[in-house]
Amino acid sequence: MKPKTFCYFLHEAFCGIFRNSLISLAAIGIISIALVLFGLFYIFTVNIQHLGTLAWDKIEVRVFLKQDVSNTEKIKKQLTQIPGVRDVKFIPKKDGAAALERLLGSKNLFTDDDNPLPDCFHLSPAEKANIDEITRLASAISGVEEIVYGQKFVNFLKVLIRLVLVMGLVLMIFSALAVLYMVVNTIQLTVYARRNEIEIMKLVGATNSFIRWPFLLEGIFLGVGGAFLAVLLLTKGYGFLLGKLRRLNVYIPLLRCTEVNQPLIISLFAMGIFFGGSGSLFSLRRYLKD
Amino acid sequence: MILAKDLTKIYSNGVVALDKLSLSVEKGEFVFLVGPSGAGKSTFLSLIIRRELPTSGFLTVNRQPVALLKKNEIAFLRRSIGVIFQDYKLLPNKTVYENISFALEVIETSSREIKQRVYSVLELVGLLNKARVFPSELSGGEQQRVCLARALVNRPLLLLADEPTGNLDPETSWEIMDLLREVNKRGTTILMATHNKIIVDKLRKRVLALENGKLVRDTIRGGYTLET
Ligand SMILES: Nc1ncnc2c1ncn2[C@@H]1O[C@H](COP(=O)(O)OP(=O)(O)OP(=O)(O)O)[C@@H](O)[C@H]1O
Ligand SMILES: [Mg+2]
Repeated sequence: MKPKTFCYFLHEAFCGIFRNSLISLAAIGIISIALVLFGLFYIFTVNIQHLGTLAWDKIEVRVFLKQDVSNTEKIKKQLTQIPGVRDVKFIPKKDGAAALERLLGSKNLFTDDDNPLPDCFHLSPAEKANIDEITRLASAISGVEEIVYGQKFVNFLKVLIRLVLVMGLVLMIFSALAVLYMVVNTIQLTVYARRNEIEIMKLVGATNSFIRWPFLLEGIFLGVGGAFLAVLLLTKGYGFLLGKLRRLNVYIPLLRCTEVNQPLIISLFAMGIFFGGSGSLFSLRRYLKD
Repeated sequence: MILAKDLTKIYSNGVVALDKLSLSVEKGEFVFLVGPSGAGKSTFLSLIIRRELPTSGFLTVNRQPVALLKKNEIAFLRRSIGVIFQDYKLLPNKTVYENISFALEVIETSSREIKQRVYSVLELVGLLNKARVFPSELSGGEQQRVCLARALVNRPLLLLADEPTGNLDPETSWEIMDLLREVNKRGTTILMATHNKIIVDKLRKRVLALENGKLVRDTIRGGYTLET
């Protein structure tokens, strides 16, 4: 393709957009609504995921040792080597007693010698680690008496994270399909408005690809326009939400704007371009059959 | 140039527009296609540029079997044929200049050549002063001349003219006929469907008469009817 031909296509695409400005505006509006929907699900899903991981980080597996075990260094080493263990912290029995005292609000509960509490390790599991496996391996270490962790909470969290992920994905796929459907329908309007033009182009000997190009570019521009609007709405809206929560002193550890924006912007523009372009080609197919 | 053998066209609504039509037109000829309204003249022209597919029979244009062409070959065939449509088929949202240049953009002509060629055909049809005007601002006859200019701009081997004088006063009609004869002299084959008895009788060219989709008469130097 000559550069001049490409310029001609660009010119035609812009003419198409501006000559059918009402339909074009409608198309941009509808694409942006669909993309906003997608973006909302995206923001929701990543935040729930984020909260899930934060909660995960708070999980601690407590490994209590038998009384009068002395080789704690060796046990620590063994615990560290268990796959999925991110961090091992040793809590000697006197720290445990201090914690208990703090909890009960009394002082000098035990003297150093009659402290009945065992020595203890706190394990922090890595993200997505299999906690059952960790406890199984840890309990096999000699000198370990008992292992305690919030089993119900962990299971609940596991299910929740998976559920939200699946739900978010399903919703995102649905909203992506909605974007495609709306784009095809609106671009079909612009194509329909120009069916005579298409016919005449064919009659003077334009090849199908020559006819497709301006429409492809037009669809892409509409998609970019819609994505631009959606990005504007979502980023501003999310920023506003975070600011509002901060002002109300509601502390929810949501993702910061900067963490959400980049993937959001990239995916919305990519979707706009992809769906705008393919929707436009799809709408044309009927007119280019022969 | 054009060879038809038992060419039949039945539209999807059952109308038999062409019924076993057989004829041939040689390179460089000037042929009138006459016949009452509904005889199948426009249909025949549509088959030649493959706007429609024949129901049965055989048609070659410039030795190419039209029905068997692939999509891109159809586009290339159409580039070698200029058409003046009965209903003009101008694009309402493009200027006169753009309507004509468009036929050259399609075949990736350079900007300089486009400009030069468009202005030269506009001069030929006498519409230089209307280049920047939209079709809706033109009279019927002027629109017809724009259509002629577009048909001529890529120097076709074959020119199909469907009622090119349909909306013109007698004087302008003769101007158009002079133009067509000039183009024909330069080697372009012309097939013109018309109801204009005066022109056909005066020019004494080959006449093909259709009736109900059948060829009923083929006379060299003929008139609009058998008697004339
Ligand atoms: N697209 C179509 N679908 C169905 N029938 C059609 C179509 N085009 C034409 N016909 C029918 O085919 C027959 C021939 O039409 P055609 O347009 O070829 O006639 P014509 O000789 O050009 O007439 P005119 O002199 O009025 O232009 C007519 O009966 C018409 O009703
Ligand atoms: Mg006709």
